[in-house]
Amino acid sequence: MSGVDRRTFLKQAAMAAAAAAATSLVPGVTFGRELESYLDGFVASADVTWHKTPCRFCGVGCGLQVAIENGRAVAVRGDPASPVNRGLACVKGYHSVQALYGRDRLTRARVRRNGELVDVPIQEALDLIADRLRDTIEEHGKDSVALYGSGQWTIPDGYVASKFFKGGIGTNNLEANARLCMSSAVTGFMTSFGMDEPMGCYEDIDHADVFVLWGNNMSEMHPVLFSRMLRERDRRPDVRIIDLATRTTRTSYAADRSILFTPQSDLAIANGICHEIVRRGWANRDFVDRYVTFKEGRTQIGYGLQDDFSFTDRATDASWSDFVRFLDDYTPERVEEISGVPASEIRWLASLYGDPSRKVMSFWCMGLNQHTRGTWVNNLVYNIHLLTGKISTPGNSPFSLTGQPSACGTVREVGTLTHKLPYGDVTNPEAREKAAEIWGVPVERIDPQPTHHTVSMFRALDRGDLRFMWIQVTNPMVTMPHLNRYRDGAEKDGRFIVVSDVYPTPTTDVADVILPAAMWIEREGLFGNSERRTQHFQQLLEPPGEAMSDTWQLIEVARRLGYEELFPWSYEEHIDRIWAEYIRFHDSPDHRMAPLAELRERPGIIWPYVDGQETKWRYNTATDPAADPERGAFDFYGNPDHRAWIWLRPYEPPPEWPDDEYPFWLNTGRVLEHWHSGSMTRRIPTLHRAVPGAYVEIHPDDAREMGIGEGERVRLVTRRGSLELPTRIEFRAQPPRGQVFVPFFDETLLINDLTLDAYCPISAQPDYKKCAVRVERIGVE
Amino acid sequence: MARRASLFTRTVAIGVAAAAMLLAIVLVVPALIDMVAGPDHPPVTRMTSPGEPIPAEALAYRIRPWDLAVPLHSEPREGARPRTLETYRSLRAYPGAPPRIPHEVSPEQSRATLCNACHAGGGYVPRHGAYTPVTPHPEFSDCLQCHVPDAGAVGVGVGAVPADLSLVGWAPADWVARDWPELDQRAMPGSPLWIPHELRLRENCLACHAGPGAVEEIRTTHPDRTDCRSCHVPLVTDDPGFTRPVDRSAGGDS
Repeated sequence: MSGVDRRTFLKQAAMAAAAAAATSLVPGVTFGRELESYLDGFVASADVTWHKTPCRFCGVGCGLQVAIENGRAVAVRGDPASPVNRGLACVKGYHSVQALYGRDRLTRARVRRNGELVDVPIQEALDLIADRLRDTIEEHGKDSVALYGSGQWTIPDGYVASKFFKGGIGTNNLEANARLCMSSAVTGFMTSFGMDEPMGCYEDIDHADVFVLWGNNMSEMHPVLFSRMLRERDRRPDVRIIDLATRTTRTSYAADRSILFTPQSDLAIANGICHEIVRRGWANRDFVDRYVTFKEGRTQIGYGLQDDFSFTDRATDASWSDFVRFLDDYTPERVEEISGVPASEIRWLASLYGDPSRKVMSFWCMGLNQHTRGTWVNNLVYNIHLLTGKISTPGNSPFSLTGQPSACGTVREVGTLTHKLPYGDVTNPEAREKAAEIWGVPVERIDPQPTHHTVSMFRALDRGDLRFMWIQVTNPMVTMPHLNRYRDGAEKDGRFIVVSDVYPTPTTDVADVILPAAMWIEREGLFGNSERRTQHFQQLLEPPGEAMSDTWQLIEVARRLGYEELFPWSYEEHIDRIWAEYIRFHDSPDHRMAPLAELRERPGIIWPYVDGQETKWRYNTATDPAADPERGAFDFYGNPDHRAWIWLRPYEPPPEWPDDEYPFWLNTGRVLEHWHSGSMTRRIPTLHRAVPGAYVEIHPDDAREMGIGEGERVRLVTRRGSLELPTRIEFRAQPPRGQVFVPFFDETLLINDLTLDAYCPISAQPDYKKCAVRVERIGVE
Repeated sequence: MARRASLFTRTVAIGVAAAAMLLAIVLVVPALIDMVAGPDHPPVTRMTSPGEPIPAEALAYRIRPWDLAVPLHSEPREGARPRTLETYRSLRAYPGAPPRIPHEVSPEQSRATLCNACHAGGGYVPRHGAYTPVTPHPEFSDCLQCHVPDAGAVGVGVGAVPADLSLVGWAPADWVARDWPELDQRAMPGSPLWIPHELRLRENCLACHAGPGAVEEIRTTHPDRTDCRSCHVPLVTDDPGFTRPVDRSAGGDS
């Protein structure tokens, strides 16, 4: 076979295989020509190899294939074998590998000496961190040191973090920025079902007839799932997409119906839908009688604005008639008064949820989670699905989406939060005993008392109760609400801040030590996405300079503190050993994880993974091996009574809303092109050039009344701070009159200096979507 | 007597004081409570309709496959006259200019503004042996405001494009058009193409880039994906990359 023939043959073979895979998974989607251009000149080259990995960015968890040539990542394509994205990706995923090669990548450790950061060998920096950690514990006690990570931690990172801090040092000062992102989703699941994470999976999209998006701009935030939804509508013209939101976005335009509501009134809307379902007799009484219990919690629960705030909910039993009486307050007319949504629209929504012939999927993410009543509103969406029995079956699915690639896999499953262990809570003696046994530590070392959630942790740093904080894979000096207080706190004397990251950020600016981190496919790791899918990635690249994985940084420091026996593994085998140890925590049919050998081969596996089978629908006795068929079609085994709980949660107002002095709502969030604080996506030229900086969206009528033009700089002022930035009046989205929106990705225009650090008292997740702001015209200067 | 008077006075005084207190409670305290706590829930704005859609975004989703005369993914039929980049460019004075009308427009047609009858939905026209280009902005109907027939095209015959632009009486000597954007602009092999042109009035990607009536060289291979801009983004700045305004990590001023 001549060289040319061989080249052509290989190319055609690869194309045929890839095209066959793509078309068989997504009938009608034509990838042939596109694949040809992808592969042109690639497949034939012996120097290029393609490897699977989950995407580095959001919680959708798309499967990607990355091309490696001469030790560098040179191209990306969607993995046709991944059931998540079936060969597609979004603009961030397609350009993701360029985030590895930004000009200012951190490659050396830096230590602050006399106020200046100077490069040092990484081993010297690790020595210094260990010394400071030891000294701080000796001087101020074990609860004066903290570790703060994120849902971008790989599963091994989070596992080592938990073992080091909870099993080694014995402090519960372990948190993750996922607290700011999905802890209301967790407490919502825990209070309604007694177990975390969705019962369904993305395959529900292929079966649902109605999609209700609760404050979720999926077109920009979860684009691949949104594309799957649009495709279903193209395939099945009866499919309807309803965008229920406080702002008009791309998602609203693509939806069949856009319904705008007053911020916070989602609580009333959900109850109004239930009111109408009950009144019309659309409730599935058989389901409710067999599988549901009614509960009532405390009300007037506060907003967490004071440093000494604390709250504990108390569940009391309620009945069907209590629930019906409770709903009396939420007639569609009354809901209209609170929400601004016409009663007729509430009735229409109820008719969609209540129609037994339609399968309904509800999606939500930050709109419901970043909410001072986040736990409640999560409960209330479950109420609708439980009242109609539309749950845990294909296409009937209340689905809480996440924002980070491993918020589920690491923070929720490993449990890198103050109250959690890898299985169960620190307050539970059995969970502590299990952890002590697997970790080989005395059970007394695991502290039974949770300490600080994230906001409380940064307040403690400000007050001086915390003296040492190690921050990995996250950028709190962009993302904390009421940021100026916490930045001032971090910069105070007597605070020692270690930051592990891949680029300089406002957080490395306040660091005393910066550790260069190995990123994504520069090390071996695992993520867990929103549908309980665990995804493995191999090390494909050498990390630059002295960059080291977060896992290994933690192990190095732990060993220096004398915890060698907790981390005895060699570098070559440490991921295997960590995985084998970690899955012992989950070795039961309700949570069993796949072995690493299988995860290495497959584009992710959904847990519980029992006898070689993924569990796509939990609590359904036909599909979930942990559910007991004796109990009927469903077994909500997470709760002690094996029933799901409907909660009587009322509407309560937010802590702050527009008044004469601050007449606008301030809403914050993301854009398609930038991921979170922008430290990676802004270094990707395509994304930076599409959206180079932050701006404030304002309604054209409000702008006209104030004489403000497109692109003009205005000043936003809240009770906490002010910021000047340009307007975008005719950009991609539009707030209603009386609201402005600012994306938070821009470190030079820090909108979080203005946001309010009020949080949901049950989840401790702050509300970044609602506070009161004044818009001032600056005029020509 | 004195006692009774005193009692009377005291009773009156107590009454007045009580009334004053009551008045204070009725008038002042709610105001105080209001000052402290405010009204018990946020003002409700009527927000049922999203208002005027923003063209750049709303129109991106306007054309759906079932709205069109022919499915977006169908190939042009055998023998149809192809619409090529060459003819596309020859009808525009510069990149982004409204195209001229290459066919005859009768006085009746121009009065009735009937263009959208054909150009909103596209489709094959046997008489012309070609597909009708689909307009990306069918919400406008006063088409001749921007699109004008060539003087030279009147009577030239439908679809025929005069090769020599001087024939149509428009060729100023010192005109220099911007270059047409390169077609194959992307970050890496296989990554999604950038959008190399401005989007105003051309927000609906599928109108020009999908279906058998689309220009051959820029026709998408995957018209099934209607959320085009989740992968393809425009470049709004020439700034090659992000640079921190002050890199404090480099040392110094903390």
